[in-house]
Amino acid sequence: MKVKLGLTVLALCGAVLCIDVGTALAQSYPSKPIRLIVPWTAGGATDIFARIIGQKLTEGWGQQVVVDNRPGASGIIGFEIAARAVPDGYTILLAAQPFTVNTSLFSKLPYDVVKDFAPVTLMAYTTNILVVHPAVPAESVSELITLAKSKPGQLNFASMGSATTGHLLGEMFKIMAGVDMVHIPYKGSAPAMTDLLGGRVSLMFDTVPSAMPHVKAGKLRALAVTSAKRSPLVPDLPTVAESGLPGFESAPWYGAVVPAGTPKEIITKLYTEIVKILNMPDVKDRLSNYGYTIIGSTPEQFADFIKTDMAKWAKVIKDAGIHVD
Amino acid sequence: MDLFNNLILGFSVCLTPVNLLYCFLGVALGTLIGVLPGIGPTATIGMLLPITFKLSPVTALIMLAGIYYGAQYGGSTTSILINLPGEASSVVTCLDGYAMARKGRAGPALAIAALGSFFAGCVATLIITMFAPPLAEFALKFGSAEYFSMMVLGLIAAVVLAHGSLLKAIAMVFLGLLLGLVGTDVNSGIRRFDFGISDLSDGIGFVAVAMGLFGYAEIIANLELKGKRAVITTDVHGLMPTRADLKASWKAVLRGTGLGAMLGILPGGGAVVSSFASYTLEKRVAADPSRFGKGAIEGVAGPESANNAAAQTSFIPLLTLGLPSNAVMALMLGAMTIHGIAPGPQVMNERPELFWSLITSMWIGNVMLVVLNLPLIGIWVRLLTVPYRLLFPAILLFCCIGVYSLNNSPFDVVLTAVFGLLGYIFIKVDCEPAPLLLGFILGPMMEEHLRRAMLLSRGDPTVFFTRPISLAMLVVSAFLLLLIIAPTIRRKREEAFQE
Repeated sequence: MKVKLGLTVLALCGAVLCIDVGTALAQSYPSKPIRLIVPWTAGGATDIFARIIGQKLTEGWGQQVVVDNRPGASGIIGFEIAARAVPDGYTILLAAQPFTVNTSLFSKLPYDVVKDFAPVTLMAYTTNILVVHPAVPAESVSELITLAKSKPGQLNFASMGSATTGHLLGEMFKIMAGVDMVHIPYKGSAPAMTDLLGGRVSLMFDTVPSAMPHVKAGKLRALAVTSAKRSPLVPDLPTVAESGLPGFESAPWYGAVVPAGTPKEIITKLYTEIVKILNMPDVKDRLSNYGYTIIGSTPEQFADFIKTDMAKWAKVIKDAGIHVD
Repeated sequence: MDLFNNLILGFSVCLTPVNLLYCFLGVALGTLIGVLPGIGPTATIGMLLPITFKLSPVTALIMLAGIYYGAQYGGSTTSILINLPGEASSVVTCLDGYAMARKGRAGPALAIAALGSFFAGCVATLIITMFAPPLAEFALKFGSAEYFSMMVLGLIAAVVLAHGSLLKAIAMVFLGLLLGLVGTDVNSGIRRFDFGISDLSDGIGFVAVAMGLFGYAEIIANLELKGKRAVITTDVHGLMPTRADLKASWKAVLRGTGLGAMLGILPGGGAVVSSFASYTLEKRVAADPSRFGKGAIEGVAGPESANNAAAQTSFIPLLTLGLPSNAVMALMLGAMTIHGIAPGPQVMNERPELFWSLITSMWIGNVMLVVLNLPLIGIWVRLLTVPYRLLFPAILLFCCIGVYSLNNSPFDVVLTAVFGLLGYIFIKVDCEPAPLLLGFILGPMMEEHLRRAMLLSRGDPTVFFTRPISLAMLVVSAFLLLLIIAPTIRRKREEAFQE
């Protein structure tokens, strides 16, 4: 009798323990403020995006989503902090291009993109734009390529910094078109734009919101956008692939990841909520005004995307011989 | 009278109760954070950005702008009172401002700082009103070659910042250059001198160095004396500047305003250098340069006017070209973008009410600031009478919070402490921190521009001499160098050294 009672109690305990802790947590989630880590400075493009999403999450869930800016070291500082955070769903990382690119640039990273993170959703992507100074005698990408081939080493392109998107795009362009241009790095997009406007550099791969005011004022000429499809912000502008360099495509992307080990139920909850936000009419409006194309992929699709993106840029970096350390 | 109509438009928009309220909030907050060491306008504007979502774009920008130039007013307060630069551009004010405070003349120092800043702010706003577009075009002509030559000029002039041994000053400049090299090299993307620490890969923060070398070191040195001498004389002579003070400083204010206005326009951080440049200029043109460092009022009036003028004119590249000239302007750009305004050359034409109301709000903000700051002088001076054993822990606490708030990084706080220790050692061996700071700021910029100018010219060094602006500045540098090593000067220095 005693043994039977003991076994029953044991079985009941076992049953209690088997209650899915994850589901229990997910049902009460979120019960305290959430930290949204943005590895870039406040006021920048990524930060603005994060704040829009964060604000809507706060409204939807009634729990504060606090944007935590941790700039520095091409995003490594922020990525590392997120990788080491407790995987309870109260730390979200806003990931962007450097997330996949850094692995090929640095020989030693304090985190592993695949092992330390669990993707939530690929939120949106935007495009870059190829602009030239009006004095450059090229009205399209194919003309630019011809010009560059006739003057090897004389054209130069500005970028926001070594190993940033602008630099990598330039290198990809050089490899695919088979031209020789000199890379001039700057500390950020403002000094680069200053020298481009002053005619000291010939061209630049820049973001659309940053370059368009100058294009509209006639101070710069826009040649093409770098994404695979035309941008809704500038539908008249062809893509690089359409206008002389087929196969060229790249798009800065923004996604949400959480530390690996976060319960699957919480990831699903986050994913559903973010996709809901991305489809709200006012959010859609605002984001498309900035030139973002909304995706809202599933966590599995995002994981696949991360793998292909890493491989793509690994090849470009290797072929271009870009070193950081 | 297009200008007149524009100004009427501007005033009509910004003289509404809401905008006036937010202008006041902005400048009051700016003064506060300028006084608090470490926390600067960058961090504050970053934190307040989400709040501005709910406001109209004009109101938001008026408030944020108020925070920025208000911080320049507040920054001088702690520099003068406790040798702690509240803002990067107030470092130079520490030199003579604190010396004046030690002599019991904190009141006049604070007052002149406020008045000089007010004058500079008004004049700079006037300059923006009348000359914004052509000035912006001029700024565009500054390429890397010109920046490099300007910095060579700056470094040579930096020698003037030293009071004592010339050799020590040069050594400090070089040490500053070396410290400035820590971080990621712009041109190659390679990390240098960071010893594998991620937090160092973007360089040593200026705030950590300035606060450590000036503020912490001073506290350590004072504690060592253990009350053997009074830290600040409590015998305060008077709160307002005397006629003699005003007479001595008005020219400095004019010169500082002019210099600051010019340097603020240049995208790429003319504003921080403006106060250093003004101090150097004042010392050079003074009848008796040996007064500097011991409480010369020109050493406060000039730099304070310069940094305020630079703060106002640094809006020009942003408003006319859409190019931010420093981190704060970059945040303002972000704020404009959030509110749906595409910053660029068109803003003046497409949104004139925004442009002109921002400019007129600067005038109003400056008036508010002077009204706010002058009466506060009495309170600040009374703060000095608090016993030092209560004062210094509070200062240290605020410093730590301030430094931490910059990057949410505890590493920065530790770094400031390290520099505090270093600063104490420097005091003991009688080496001055000001030349180090200048080397620290200018060194990396010089390297960046030198290499970029060479990249752009494809390795042709004559580019520094063929471009007119660059050539002009190099000629002036050579002239200054000649002046410094001229026999008469050297003899004078040897005489002073022997004494």
